[in-house]
Amino acid sequence: MTREEEQIYDGEFGWANQVCMKILVRLGELFNATRLIRISSAHISGVSYKTLGDAPIGFLKSLADANGKAKVKATLNPQSFSPEYLGKKLPKNIREKQFTILEQFERMGFTRSLTCTPYYLQRPEAGSHLAWAESSAVVYANSVLGAWTNREGGPSALAAAIIGKTPDYGMHMAGNREPTILVNVEKPLQNETEFGALGIHLGKILGNKIPLINGLKNASEDSLKQLGAALATTGMTNMFRRDASSEKRGIEKVSVEAEDIKRTIEGLSTAARHEPDLVFIGCPHCSLDEIRHIAGEVEGKKVKQRTECWVCTSRHNMEKAADYVKIIERTGAHVLADMCTIVSWTEMLGIRTIMTNSAKTAYYAPTLNKAQTILVPQEECLKTAFKG
Amino acid sequence: MTGLTLKGRGIVEGHCKAEALVSSKPISFLGGVDPADGKIIEKNHDLYGECIKDKILCFPHGHGSTVGSYVLYSLAKRNSAPKAILNQTADPVVVVGAIIANIPMITQVDIERINTGDVVEVDGSSGYVRVSRRVERSCI
Repeated sequence: MTREEEQIYDGEFGWANQVCMKILVRLGELFNATRLIRISSAHISGVSYKTLGDAPIGFLKSLADANGKAKVKATLNPQSFSPEYLGKKLPKNIREKQFTILEQFERMGFTRSLTCTPYYLQRPEAGSHLAWAESSAVVYANSVLGAWTNREGGPSALAAAIIGKTPDYGMHMAGNREPTILVNVEKPLQNETEFGALGIHLGKILGNKIPLINGLKNASEDSLKQLGAALATTGMTNMFRRDASSEKRGIEKVSVEAEDIKRTIEGLSTAARHEPDLVFIGCPHCSLDEIRHIAGEVEGKKVKQRTECWVCTSRHNMEKAADYVKIIERTGAHVLADMCTIVSWTEMLGIRTIMTNSAKTAYYAPTLNKAQTILVPQEECLKTAFKG
Repeated sequence: MTGLTLKGRGIVEGHCKAEALVSSKPISFLGGVDPADGKIIEKNHDLYGECIKDKILCFPHGHGSTVGSYVLYSLAKRNSAPKAILNQTADPVVVVGAIIANIPMITQVDIERINTGDVVEVDGSSGYVRVSRRVERSCI
């Protein structure tokens, strides 16, 4: 430790800094790190009151009271409702608790990003070290953006934000970023839902191995986003490789058949009939491209009666794509910012069946939302939600 | 009383002595423990219905949500936390929870050699665990 780090550890910079430094040092010791390294940003999970509950509010408040302040750009995961639409349908005490959580983060200088896609606000540079906690963003950062981050827990990302550093281990070491298994996808993937299904399937069989996946060269960043989110849902893998330069001889090989993808999608669809209460797109949050594309598909149409249609994105993207958002909202669909459907209170709104193009949502919704699921590509989601 | 000394890796410092509560199953503090009173509420857990308050809580390792760290903090604030935590394997969620809640913690402890009801003395700095069998138990 440097002299300054030791002073922080001994409490000379106050309790908030001390407890954060302790978290980082003890985690570093656990994973045999020899030093702390500077990070360029932190991203914090554990923001939704629904998943967080009452337990952490006191801790966050104590940190803020003890003058804990983020030293680097620090962004926040989504909360449990969109203030404009869902917030109005929920009881006052839920809104207030959620507000109290956000207030503590803001006192500590965190950006009210409320998105699982902080990379749309500011794209990290390739090779930069981060401490990010949202698992889908961790895989995206390592695999698509070429930034370096471990999969942090909520409190360790918070500690890293306040100290501005993270222990040097795991994905921060070049030697740990090499592929250890070669994956051949036998049939080209047709849509974003199949990319997600590949991720769910691989996550279950890979453990924490880093796959080099053949056949992803022409995949869009949006498809890779689905793959990464799903991979992190079922597995411990923090990264996939798709570049030929990382090709290595003599590593283990595994092949994924068309049947594996088909069976995975079927397994994630638990509803018997295609009659959803909610059609949901935007897990992870939609990119500008995705919002534009949806607007083009639905312009001039109307959402069916008794069907909710939600498109989730960050407030940042919603404001940037304001014209397209208007087109979508004119149809009766809702573009919702600041929230994540799987950590929102859908069951309180009477939603029992969710249709989505996101494998991650389909995986979590039966337990987190107590909902039945239908996993289909976006095209079919929109066909089901709209008349004509 | 018979004595036994075990050695692990100290994670959070602190010295204490209390009765052991031992589980052979991993614990998820989120959803597994009531943050208000420290009762185990996970239905299929071998400690279901037991209270971890003021015990030397011994279990293999943690699992599940990272929010579990915050549950340990909440227990400590309500005086319902265990006196110390002994694990076989360190899970970051439990480690971070013990740090923010200031609960002495040692990992790499052979918890199979400790029985529920034993009196256990823990030194979180050195990693030493001294186990005294309950007299009535050793007499049976």
